[in-house]
Amino acid sequence: MMTLLRLFWSFAKIGFTSFGGLSMIPLINEEMIQNGWMTAAEVSDIVAIAEMTPGPLGINCATFAGIRAAGLAGAAAANIGVLMPTLTLTLLAAAFFHKFKNSQGMKAVMSGVRPACIGMIFALCVSMSLTNYTSDGALYLPYVLLGGADLFLLLKAKMSVPAVIGINALAGVLLFGGLLPPV
Amino acid sequence: MAKAKDIVSLFVQFLKFGFFTFGGGWSIVAQMRRVYVVEKGCLSDEELLDLTSVGRSLPGIMIGNVAMLFGYRQAGVLGGIACVLGLTLPPMAVLSVITLFYTAFRDSKPVAAAMNGIRAAVIPIILSAALPLIKGNVNSAFGVVLVLLGFALYLFAGMNCVWIVLIGAVCGVLYRLYAVKRGDRR
Repeated sequence: MMTLLRLFWSFAKIGFTSFGGLSMIPLINEEMIQNGWMTAAEVSDIVAIAEMTPGPLGINCATFAGIRAAGLAGAAAANIGVLMPTLTLTLLAAAFFHKFKNSQGMKAVMSGVRPACIGMIFALCVSMSLTNYTSDGALYLPYVLLGGADLFLLLKAKMSVPAVIGINALAGVLLFGGLLPPV
Repeated sequence: MAKAKDIVSLFVQFLKFGFFTFGGGWSIVAQMRRVYVVEKGCLSDEELLDLTSVGRSLPGIMIGNVAMLFGYRQAGVLGGIACVLGLTLPPMAVLSVITLFYTAFRDSKPVAAAMNGIRAAVIPIILSAALPLIKGNVNSAFGVVLVLLGFALYLFAGMNCVWIVLIGAVCGVLYRLYAVKRGDRR
């Protein structure tokens, strides 16, 4: 029981003090090592695995650490912990936003937030390109071509996201998994 | 009070989304756009962008926050919880299995190859959600300047997205005040 509470508390702290994705890693690292739930090497492995599998990084880390420390109940406790900001703050924000979304003030605020957020999304794409389309530090053409094909499938052929992810997994195994001779 | 049927259908839909969360939740935004904006027409591109901006600027898991905001909008508190739960269960189940076969999974060549392939799809998925948002939201010099500002602050200054959202909010209010004042003088 104590372990469950400690898992919950640790991940609640991680949730409340981070803003999604990679910003969680230093906190997760600190909490996991201090509590002896994972070694530093395991933390970096789990980050890699979390990036490879579906699901937000926070949920994946909480599940991994929770199961390691206290089985499925541990995973549940850690996940509820990491979701605490969503279940409290965001719920309040949702009620607030819902009430004021048609007010003049909120319209003015969102008229500035929207374009700034669009700019941020494009910046994210640029910074992610540096890892997603490179191999050993150089631009890797097969990744770029695959990405271009995906863009066509999504925007022009209107293919669904799950279908595109499935195609890419298959293409990945065929192209980079050594099943076909190297091009 | 929202009907139990709505809450169940939100839960089921987000359960489906949950299996395909790659790229920090953006693939969920792209799927939400496909289902709720394009197919069902119960959400506009602008509203989706609002949910995403607000969700990003709150602490915790960004896509969990977006799910909560959307679920609340559709069906109140229970709707929000249904969306978050639906979105969380699939990755939890997948990772539980992976944790059991941790070493085998980590060292598997085909798995790594498949993931390299999937990684190539992440940016196209984000773009498929983001490109339609430009229409209607960036139609003035003010909008273009803010897009460039957000881009530069995030990419070159490495600024936290919370600050960028706040700066956008302040600029939006100041611009509105300026526009009102100018309108009064005429």
